[in-house]
Amino acid sequence: MPEFLYIHIPFCVRKCIYCDFLSLPYDESLALKYTDALCRELELKKNRATTLKTVFIGGGTPSVLPDSCLEHIFLCLRNNYSLTPSTEITVEANPGTITETKVDMLKSQGVNRVSLGIQSFQESELKTLGRIHGADEAISAAEMIISAGLTNLSLDLIYGIPGQTPGSWKDSLDRAIGLSPKHISAYELTPERGTQLYHQLESGSLTMPEEDLILDMNDLVIDILAAAGFEHYEISNFSLPGFTCIHNLNYWNRGEYLAAGAGAHSFVKGYRSRNTSDIRQYMESLSRELIPEIEKTEISCEDALKEFIFLGLRKTCGIRLNDAAGLGLNIAEAASRLIQAGFAEITSTDLRLTRKGLQISNTAIIELIENLGL
Amino acid sequence: MTKNIRNFSIIAHIDHGKSTLADRLLEYTGALSAREMTAQVLDSMDLEKERGITIKAHAVRLNYRADDGKDYILNLIDTPGHVDFSYEVSRSLASCEGALLVVDATQGVEAQTLANAYLAIEHDLEIIPVINKIDLPSADPAKTKEQIEDAVGIDSSGAVLASAKEGTGTKEILEEIVRKIPPASGDDDGPLKALIFDSWFDNYQGVIVLVRIFDGRLRPGMKIRLMATDSVYEVSQIGIFSPKMEPVDELTSGEVGYIISGIKSVTDTKIGDTITDASRPVTEPCPGYKDIKPLVFCGLYPTASHQYENLRDALNKLRLNDASFNYEPETSLALGFGFRCGFLGLLHMEIIQERLEREFDLSLLSTAPTVVYRVTKPDGEVLYIDNPAMLPEKFEKIEEPFVLTTIFVPKDFIGPILDLCQEKRGVQKTFSYIGKDRIKIEYELPLNEILWDFYDKLKSFSKGYASMDYEFIGYRDSDLIKLNILLNAEPVDALSLIVHRDKAYYKGRQLTEKLREIIPRQMYEVVIQAAVGNKIIARESVRALRKDVIAKCYGGDITRKRKLLEKQKEGKKRMKQVGRVELPQEAFLAVLKLK
Repeated sequence: MPEFLYIHIPFCVRKCIYCDFLSLPYDESLALKYTDALCRELELKKNRATTLKTVFIGGGTPSVLPDSCLEHIFLCLRNNYSLTPSTEITVEANPGTITETKVDMLKSQGVNRVSLGIQSFQESELKTLGRIHGADEAISAAEMIISAGLTNLSLDLIYGIPGQTPGSWKDSLDRAIGLSPKHISAYELTPERGTQLYHQLESGSLTMPEEDLILDMNDLVIDILAAAGFEHYEISNFSLPGFTCIHNLNYWNRGEYLAAGAGAHSFVKGYRSRNTSDIRQYMESLSRELIPEIEKTEISCEDALKEFIFLGLRKTCGIRLNDAAGLGLNIAEAASRLIQAGFAEITSTDLRLTRKGLQISNTAIIELIENLGL
Repeated sequence: MTKNIRNFSIIAHIDHGKSTLADRLLEYTGALSAREMTAQVLDSMDLEKERGITIKAHAVRLNYRADDGKDYILNLIDTPGHVDFSYEVSRSLASCEGALLVVDATQGVEAQTLANAYLAIEHDLEIIPVINKIDLPSADPAKTKEQIEDAVGIDSSGAVLASAKEGTGTKEILEEIVRKIPPASGDDDGPLKALIFDSWFDNYQGVIVLVRIFDGRLRPGMKIRLMATDSVYEVSQIGIFSPKMEPVDELTSGEVGYIISGIKSVTDTKIGDTITDASRPVTEPCPGYKDIKPLVFCGLYPTASHQYENLRDALNKLRLNDASFNYEPETSLALGFGFRCGFLGLLHMEIIQERLEREFDLSLLSTAPTVVYRVTKPDGEVLYIDNPAMLPEKFEKIEEPFVLTTIFVPKDFIGPILDLCQEKRGVQKTFSYIGKDRIKIEYELPLNEILWDFYDKLKSFSKGYASMDYEFIGYRDSDLIKLNILLNAEPVDALSLIVHRDKAYYKGRQLTEKLREIIPRQMYEVVIQAAVGNKIIARESVRALRKDVIAKCYGGDITRKRKLLEKQKEGKKRMKQVGRVELPQEAFLAVLKLK
């Protein structure tokens, strides 16, 4: 069974304009019922035989849940799964939903990693994004988490925000570093279809920064974080040595994972499956002791190879040539043009995309996949 | 010996109601009941119906008892209604003694009407003017009559007023056919002399040939000789169209019918050829036979190279039915393996391309159409060049085909039309008023210039009122040069074109600009240059793609993001890889969009 478990909490105080994850406005009675259903799903999938390497409670905003709900979930986890002190247990949190008691509770429940959604330290940018907090609140949340002893803190930041400049981005990065996190995720803002951001861009009420500026910001984050000792290990992820996110690396290594919660995806024994995103249907299924899975697809050999490549090349360490050869792929040959043009690099053991290659990774990956005849 | 047979065609401009009128004649004479009529029986190809034009000629026998109490056989020989097929029209007309000249009472005489009317006059046909669509409120029969007299030069006082849509005038037309059109005559006992005016391939019966018998008798079992191709076949079946195929035992002089004789390919049955009795041949074939040659050429390439074989099979099948287009394998450095195809004209080209894509489910890439240039090399050798890429670097002289273009235009729009002809290197030959409001102009123009967007512009400058027709008048010296397009310094043969020297700079600039808009950003910068010889005359570039990345990809995103990449890959697949550059299909037609 998978050694990695994801739990989805689909509630937020307010949905951010760029969000295309499953998230609903927080409602206490709904949250209580949802927690019950979630715990039932965790029970149904119970497995004490496999020691979990990671648990990741993501959202939405898990920290929006009342302490009782979170305690209920952790109790359920301990009763049905095998956790050890070395299990990486991450909880996502947003400023504005963090209190000292909540942080202490999380720590006492065994949480050892917190991912805090700060996004920006500029008030105007936070407002554009539809965040509920200001920079001060973000800073105090981070300090609260660290002083509670949860030092493995990760901060989420966003660049390419309408109105953002390389200058304001650099300021946000400096202030993030100043909070002494062990890990930073820096995402380029992507206007996904169906989000409020997408509509605002369509209507012209917002404008994305120029491509050149976004590329500058991409360079800035890599250089500034490198100078502060952070390793760039995935397209959007940076960590101090030894603090990569084990849970997320498993996705890019194409490892199996179990998931619970509305809209959550699992990958078990070659099948990718997904729970219903309809929270009522989710709870209704579980009230009848049924797993609310609505889609289950066996990944074909070809798709598996494509996944191996496009997930693997997200990591700056790239793909191991041995792994590729084991799958029957002559990756060095397929990448020759990319290597020649400086989009990829090859060593005796690995193929990886360069900084320039990562910026156009879709195009590079497509070329590779095409050359491999996939 | 004369018989109660009348052979006639219908001449009309597109949309002036030819097919509807034909339907009415069929209905009235009982060839088909109203219930049997699918709209417009004679146009049997879907494409013909959609475009409202007739591509292939057909012949239908109508039985009619006239007011004089006698029974007549009326053979309606349908003609293709477009200038591209004017040779086929001329052969159909050669099979007739008369023609209905159908003119829309709301539109008046158009260039096409005139061209075909002149053809009919050349063939000495008796012309019966029919003024159609008189049911429409804007119909002006008096003015239309006046135009017919002015433009065609025939007496229109007896013109039949008709509405094919409502069936008015149908009987009068039939009576006029009997009364005015000379009866078919010929010698039944003379040696067989029959004119092929159409042929097509039928999957079950092989080639079906339509003929008009001028002299002699035709019976199944006879050995016939096709004079131009000098081949002999045994007749297995003959018959008429009623409009259903009906075998008969004998066809004699004056009659029109079909022959099935084990011919495998329409290329063996040249339109205009004469059929005679192999054992008792005529000495002189029917006059007017021409081996028609395509005027317009383009390269057709499969978008995906593995479809090459399918494309060849499809071309082969289409050619079974249409001997007037041809194709030859061709290799382009840029596009790989494909075919250089020749067509009678632009419409013909469009029809073939559309049929290839529609009926054979092919995805095609076509290069810009070109004419055939006559090039004399320094050593005196003469080459015919139908592909700009093949133009030698050095030559003594280059000539291009010219056409005499006839344009009809309401006088209010004459200004921009004259400018257009001027801009296209035209030389005015005539200018005359047809009635009070319409002008007829004739220009000598390079065919190359009217290939591109001439017709669209003519229509747009005249709010759709102008009409045109053209005929080939010969090759003339021109100051032409080859304009090469280079992508990242590599010439792309499929994008090169032959242009007039005076227009080279302008076209080079425009083309590079257009290509810059069309070519998507890719991993590398794409430099687009236009060059004449070694001289670069225009340059544009498409900046390298610098950002194309999925920022977030976690457990719930994997399948969605994989599909996103696959979609992007599909889009890329529809492009043609030329060297390191990926070109979308439109790039090859960009040249058509030049002003």
